[in-house]
Amino acid sequence: MPIRVQLDRVLLERRMSLTELADRVGVTLANLSILKTGKARAIRFSTLDALCRELNCQPGDLVVFEPGPPDEDPGGPVEE
Amino acid sequence: MRAMGPGSVSSLLKIAMDVVWVVLLIGIAVLGLAALAVLFVPIPEDLTVEIGSGSATLTRWLAFAALLMFAGYIAILGLVVGRVRRIFATLTAGDPFHPANVTRLRQIGIGLAALEGANLLIPILLLLAAPDADFNAGVNFDLTAWFSVLVVFVMAEVFREGARLRREAELTI
Repeated sequence: MPIRVQLDRVLLERRMSLTELADRVGVTLANLSILKTGKARAIRFSTLDALCRELNCQPGDLVVFEPGPPDEDPGGPVEE
Repeated sequence: MRAMGPGSVSSLLKIAMDVVWVVLLIGIAVLGLAALAVLFVPIPEDLTVEIGSGSATLTRWLAFAALLMFAGYIAILGLVVGRVRRIFATLTAGDPFHPANVTRLRQIGIGLAALEGANLLIPILLLLAAPDADFNAGVNFDLTAWFSVLVVFVMAEVFREGARLRREAELTI
C-alpha cells in the first residue's frame, strides 16, 4: 500500500510505548498494533487527532506516501 | 421483540431449525435403513400398490430406488436447513455479515435449486419406472420457487458486500 504508517518511528522518538499511547488516546492496544503494522485500511480523523495531540506531531509525521501499485481491493479479501 | 441477538426472533428460529434438522437426520437414517432392509426382506412378486386411480407392481429394486431417492431428497433438505440454522446462529450472535454466511447462502441456493430440480425429475422417473401408475403429476414448473432460488443467490452477493464492509470497518482505526 502506498500509504505507510510511521507510528513506530514517532514512538521511538518520543520514547513512548504502544501500551502507554493506547492508554492515552483511548484506542485498544490491538487496534494500535494493526495501525503500527500497516494492516489498517483507514484511520478516523478522531483517532488521528488524538494521536497527534498525544504525540505532539503533525499527521504528516505519522503517515507518508510512498509511490507504488495501489491495492486491487480496498476492502481486502473476504475470508469464507 | 428484537430481530437479532440472544433471546431474539433469530434465536427462536435457530431452535426451531435445530429441531427440524434433527428430525431430518432421523428421517435420513430411517429411510437409509429401510432402503437396505428392502434389499433383504422378501417381497412377493405380484405385490402391487395403489397410486391414485392406477397401480404399480412393487419390485425390490423399485422400492429400493424410491427409498434411496427420498433419502437423497431429505438429505438435500437437511443441508439447506443445516446452513439456515448456522446463519441463524450468527444472527443470534449479532454478527449477520460473518464471511461464512456468503458461502452458506450460496449453498442454500444450490440446495433449493437441487430440490426444485428433483421435484421436476422425480415424477418423470416414477412414471418411467411404473408406467401403469397414476401419479397425477406432470412436469410441475414452479416459477416462484425458481425465483426464490435467484433471490437467495442475489442475497449471497449482498452478504458478500456486507462482509467486505465489515472487514473494512474492522480495519478502520
